[in-house]
Amino acid sequence: MGKEMLTGNSAAAWGVRLAEVDYIPAYPITPQTEIIETIAKWISDGSMDASFVTMDSEHSMITAAGAASATGARTFTTTSSQGLLYGFEMIYTVAGWRVPLVMVNVSRGLSSPITLGPDHNDILAVRDSGFLQIHCETCQEVLDSVLMAYRLAEDERVLLPVMVNMDGFYLSFTREAVEIPDVEKVRSFLPEYRPEHAFFKAARPMAQGVAVLGGDYYSYFKYQMHLASQNALEIYKEVCDDFERIFGRKYEVIDEYMMEDAEYILVMTNSFSTLGKAAVKRAREDGVKAGLLRPRFLRPFPESEIKNALKGKKAVAVIDQNISVGKGGIIYSEMAGCLYNEIDRPLLLSFIGGLGGKNISQKEFEFIFEKMISASDTGIVEPPSLLYTESELEGITKLKEIAGKE
Amino acid sequence: MLRLRFHGRGGQGAKVASRVLGTAAFLDGYNAQDFPLYGAERRGAPITAFTRISRDDIMERGLVSDPDIVIVMDETLLSDPQAMPLSGLKKGGIVFVNTPLSPLETKEEYGIEDHVITLDITKVSLDMIGKSVLSSLAAGVASRIAGIGEEALKGALEKELSGIISDRDLLGKNTEAALYCYNTLVPVQVKTAETIREKENVITLPFETARVSSPAINATGNTPLRRTGNWRVFRPVWNYDICTRCMTCVSRCPEGCIRLNEDGYPYADYDNCKGCLVCAEECPVKAITKVREIHSRSEEGDQ
Amino acid sequence: MDTSTIRSIKELPPEENMLPGTAACAGCGGLLTLRYCLKALGDKIVIVNAAGCFTLLTIYPFSPFRNSWLYTAMACAPAGAQGVRDALDILIKKGKLDPEENLKVVVLSGDGSAYDMALSSTSGAIYRNLDFYYICYDNEAYGNTGFQHSGASPFGSRTGTTPPGKEVPVGSQLQKKNLFDIWNSHKPPYIATVSPAYPVDLMNKFKKAEQFKGPKLFISHIPCPPGWGFDPSRSVRLAKLSVETGLWPLKESVHGEVEHTYVPKKFKPVEEYLKEQERFSHLFKPVRQEDALKSIQEMVDEYWKKHELLP
Repeated sequence: MGKEMLTGNSAAAWGVRLAEVDYIPAYPITPQTEIIETIAKWISDGSMDASFVTMDSEHSMITAAGAASATGARTFTTTSSQGLLYGFEMIYTVAGWRVPLVMVNVSRGLSSPITLGPDHNDILAVRDSGFLQIHCETCQEVLDSVLMAYRLAEDERVLLPVMVNMDGFYLSFTREAVEIPDVEKVRSFLPEYRPEHAFFKAARPMAQGVAVLGGDYYSYFKYQMHLASQNALEIYKEVCDDFERIFGRKYEVIDEYMMEDAEYILVMTNSFSTLGKAAVKRAREDGVKAGLLRPRFLRPFPESEIKNALKGKKAVAVIDQNISVGKGGIIYSEMAGCLYNEIDRPLLLSFIGGLGGKNISQKEFEFIFEKMISASDTGIVEPPSLLYTESELEGITKLKEIAGKE
Repeated sequence: MLRLRFHGRGGQGAKVASRVLGTAAFLDGYNAQDFPLYGAERRGAPITAFTRISRDDIMERGLVSDPDIVIVMDETLLSDPQAMPLSGLKKGGIVFVNTPLSPLETKEEYGIEDHVITLDITKVSLDMIGKSVLSSLAAGVASRIAGIGEEALKGALEKELSGIISDRDLLGKNTEAALYCYNTLVPVQVKTAETIREKENVITLPFETARVSSPAINATGNTPLRRTGNWRVFRPVWNYDICTRCMTCVSRCPEGCIRLNEDGYPYADYDNCKGCLVCAEECPVKAITKVREIHSRSEEGDQ
Repeated sequence: MDTSTIRSIKELPPEENMLPGTAACAGCGGLLTLRYCLKALGDKIVIVNAAGCFTLLTIYPFSPFRNSWLYTAMACAPAGAQGVRDALDILIKKGKLDPEENLKVVVLSGDGSAYDMALSSTSGAIYRNLDFYYICYDNEAYGNTGFQHSGASPFGSRTGTTPPGKEVPVGSQLQKKNLFDIWNSHKPPYIATVSPAYPVDLMNKFKKAEQFKGPKLFISHIPCPPGWGFDPSRSVRLAKLSVETGLWPLKESVHGEVEHTYVPKKFKPVEEYLKEQERFSHLFKPVRQEDALKSIQEMVDEYWKKHELLP
């Protein structure tokens, strides 16, 4: 098909179309809505053979999606932010059904205060549900990840749902050139889904999602989900190799940028990683051996890859576009947990940035590199802090005055 | 520490009994802990409740798997493979059984080797309270065996029952019946040793594919394996001389466990009949009588 | 299924599609209703269940059913039904599923779900004209958690969260929601109220419903021995009394047009029904709450007067 200028949302829709999904229950929410509108249009004009329904809430939507998956249909759904939280209960439920639903979450800051800009508290809220999580930096990656998500989810060694995440606005509404793969090639990468474990058929009755009483039995089922999720890291290598062979693009579980001889590392996820990469490039020009590590998978957590990539580095700064109120950055905690037992572990710094879509400026990246270098020199790591500039403080001060705050 | 396990049927009062005992021990100056186990099962199903009593701090939680004293509030539970009231009973422990049988007869009937105490508390309840509610009586029995003082028991009955029984007269009858049970039993010495912990291997759980490790059931209609017939206190028995084969009982059975024999007469699947007795109530010609389960055991072969 | 009506219980289909041995209470009126419904529906169905007493009919590794089952959550069984129905349809359309493997989709929920938490997802499913059956077993409270007040609890009843006391001697001060009318305002092809005491009426309603594509909804008033406080053997008797006193009208609605399928020749006083249950005992002792009893009787009389069916 060649390259087209596509938004992240259209790229996601293309992924769904090329995966020849059977069923899409939907519910609108900004900034995700363009995905479902695009799919609805294709179904209406006959360019996509699927069933589409607008549900009455995200809770119902995720239920319908999971139930269709449990019936044996290849199913897609998508939401954002409040919508994801409204359906939260069903995220856990559907994961427990062990069905290969693929969902796109278009990240948006959580209420309250209600807002529109992106950050990752929504997707990280469902971190422990059993859904695998792939976080994307580019529109191309969104399309490709939807295809890889189905391969991974439907693999009988995994059979867990997958959530593909992109930033609202900065990816969802941003157009860039995206290669739209050929459908025949997609078919060779992603064969038709033929469920062996979860379906509804007259000839083979099955009770799914049943109650499990007793901690010892419950533990078994929950831990099997964990083992399946961990398996996904191995299986993904096959998926990744096949994808590269067929489409010529390669996505590892972690994305490493200028990491080889790097000493000072930024850890970031999603679209702002591009800003981080630019900052690394500039730092290199200034003679700082900088690098960037972007985990693409947050669940399963690519522990050994991260350990390996950060071995011997002087300092690592985690920029969390999220905040666990009362603790700080979520990914910082995860990284700390990952590295703690490493003998040759780097110093670990924590910064909260980009909440609600707040920009992370060149100045702020420079500040981070300075902090890493000084921590490395002195061995003293300063406590976690919010990236916030003087002009931003002036801005909010003005607003407070208008709001009548003394 | 004394660990007591109450075995009853849903609705019989095992939970309240364990609470009354817990409060009685507390009022008597002990450290105490009580706890019911809720499962999916409903009224009539076997249930358990626990009380721990100690002079020292109680550093335990959860189920009592190695009781010093077992209170069996429903005799039929002794032969119930799911309830297994005697499991884990410590050497030197005591089994109380609600039965008209003597301790010796009970030991023989159920092959129990431990110290057995018996009293027909169902009869006491019917005689003194006018219906079969066993919570306060079981608490009276348990208090006696656990060596709790009479005043503490009285206090506990008032404290625990006044919240659930508004009728003072009924509360009074309950207290009287409990104290009757308490004073009928001869005090005993519980001679159990502290548990020696057994070793068990901790394993690494292997991965299994979702085909076997998702919470889905591929078998159909296999609940009869659970044999809910042991929930029954009374069983329906048909008198074919009166029965008109009208099908009312077959139709009305909530469980669907009444079938027809070759001659078109109804009979119950006693393995699963819960003993609700809707059949007996609905039978237009009163051809179904209810028979106390314990008494009909020997008749089973005749059915 | 043979769509001709049946006349007596002797004509009920003999097949048992739900086997005994479940965790349901002895004498559960809901189980009896479900047993009849499954006789009517056959085993080529998938039940989509909402959290409630009947969730525990299937507990790993046991299922009483000859048919399929999916437990969803409390708020969303109709949405689950949508997913299953749509998935079956699209798989058949695309040739991925043999039409022989098709199933009817049946929502099974208690009143807590149907009257309260799942009202939005139910409304959505009816509005979308989803082709499904909906069975609500209504015991007038949250039974699975030990009998707390729900939107289905009647005025004057004692529940775990409406205990009669000095300040509120009557118990529940609220009137039961009218779910039938809520559903009926959507004008689905078929709605019926049923009772486990009237299996012939129930069976014939399912037979009638079968001709319609779209939502087919059934509410069964079901006696609950532990929650209502009566001996399990009286379960069917209580179900009968609720109909014979006029408290639970047996009716159906076809595309919004309501008709009563059974009108008692002579209505029994509601007291006959109330006094058999522990949950209404505070209306009779220690002092008779005349006003409350009167208002319950009046409510029933008004209903039948409105429908011009009071003899």
